[in-house]
Amino acid sequence: MLDIQHLRVVYGITEVLRDVTFDVPQGSIVALLGGNGSGKTTMLNTLTGMVKPAAGSIRFEGIECAGLPAKGFVQRGIVQVPQGREVWPSMSVHENLELGAVTRKDWPGIRSDMEEMFEIFPKLKPHQRKRAGALSGGEQQMVAIGRALMARPKCLLMDEPSAGLAPAIVSDMVDTILALNRRGLTILLVEQNIGVAAAVAEYAHILQNGEIAFSGAAAGLVDNPAVLGAYLGR
Amino acid sequence: MLLFSYLLLGGITTGALYALVAIGLVVVNKSTGIINFAQGELFMFCGFLAWMTHVQFGLAYPLAFIAATVGGFLLGIVTDRLAFRALAKTDIVGLVLATVGLAFVLRGTARMIWGGKGDYLSFPPITSPEPVMIGDIMVVPQQMAALAGAIAIMLVFAAFFRFTRIGKIMRATADNAKAATLVGISIQNVYTLAFGAGAAIAGAAAVLAAPLTLLYPDMGFSFFIKGFAAAVLGGLTSLSGAVVGGLLVGVIESMAGGYIDSSMMEVAPFLLIMLVLIICPTGLLSLHKTRDV
Repeated sequence: MLDIQHLRVVYGITEVLRDVTFDVPQGSIVALLGGNGSGKTTMLNTLTGMVKPAAGSIRFEGIECAGLPAKGFVQRGIVQVPQGREVWPSMSVHENLELGAVTRKDWPGIRSDMEEMFEIFPKLKPHQRKRAGALSGGEQQMVAIGRALMARPKCLLMDEPSAGLAPAIVSDMVDTILALNRRGLTILLVEQNIGVAAAVAEYAHILQNGEIAFSGAAAGLVDNPAVLGAYLGR
Repeated sequence: MLLFSYLLLGGITTGALYALVAIGLVVVNKSTGIINFAQGELFMFCGFLAWMTHVQFGLAYPLAFIAATVGGFLLGIVTDRLAFRALAKTDIVGLVLATVGLAFVLRGTARMIWGGKGDYLSFPPITSPEPVMIGDIMVVPQQMAALAGAIAIMLVFAAFFRFTRIGKIMRATADNAKAATLVGISIQNVYTLAFGAGAAIAGAAAVLAAPLTLLYPDMGFSFFIKGFAAAVLGGLTSLSGAVVGGLLVGVIESMAGGYIDSSMMEVAPFLLIMLVLIICPTGLLSLHKTRDV
């Protein structure tokens, strides 16, 4: 579904991603792991048009998307849930969700999707008029995911959704990711938490210094001391 | 009591006009991070547009209002496209200097177009210029009309930001531009809209102020500095803060002029601003925000 070939991203004279090639099959959950500075967030920003690649190809459902503006990626169905939630803190939960559908004009569809968001995240319903910045970290993560879903994505790119959340909330987040995948959503999950990645993903790729250093089944990662030691510093 | 009420109403009226200039500055600053130093000149230029429509072409005052606000909006959009978008990749200092350059261009253009018609142009009053007494309070109908107009414009702007999709898009971009980009909002278009909206509100303020003052090409700086002071008092990013700041500047200016000396009119608001910023460096409404968190 999402096919990345020989992707190269450069910031000034620094090569952040080097010849990265991997794919995200339709209906799957793929994890992209790596330590700080390995290029994970740059990868997601490139896959959502925030960063322009210097070379390589990003094909989504067979159509080349490299170089498109961010809006083009959203319109084609690739939407990012950014690291650190990045909700609009002074706006209400309802407004945050509403603006997730900013590229759409099917008003009845937007209204019914809004109702659906409160079914997926019932904890948000009583807070829908509250400022998003006043919610807890877990609730803000729900708003961020709901906002992305309002664009009706086919492929969701999640940047460290477990970061900064309490362990109990992380467990809820894992359930949410699996539930979204069961609804047919393809997910590329960027994580530092290898436990979360192993719990939800089928495949995993490890980025190290901007290159894919390991690719394989996600379940094997936790039991692979060589992988943990070499690439994640454990 | 008579003097006090006269000064108070006069102060509130000019304060409401300063508030409109301040709102224009805040709208641009919130969305783009730029202080538009040409806001006063946009105000002046739109005032002349209104004068041309109403006095030269003999069209009705509401049409002059439309000409000034629509003209301001288009002027804002054109300057963003010509001056600011080309500098989008430079640092903030370059952009701010571009607004200073724009101020000089507008002032020079106004001199070229309207400069030969006398140094100061007057705009006919839209109501009776005679004050009326309501009980012990002396009311100038022209001031009340300007005040009512300013309040109506503020309410329209507040509704625009609260209820329309475009207004919400502008608020979202001001709140977090990265998140706005990620949902598919074109930040450049929001910047263009912000410059347009900021200039449109300058136009609206100008057409309300025109019957109360004289029009001349150098009038913009005085309104800019008062509007800027109001915006700073309100914290530079708060629309409600800009309104409170504008009213405070207007009332203090009026009271100082009436009770102390007319030479204090220009000085008194800035003394207050210095005091407020020493106590509360991020503006008057930041105390409220701190409690909120």
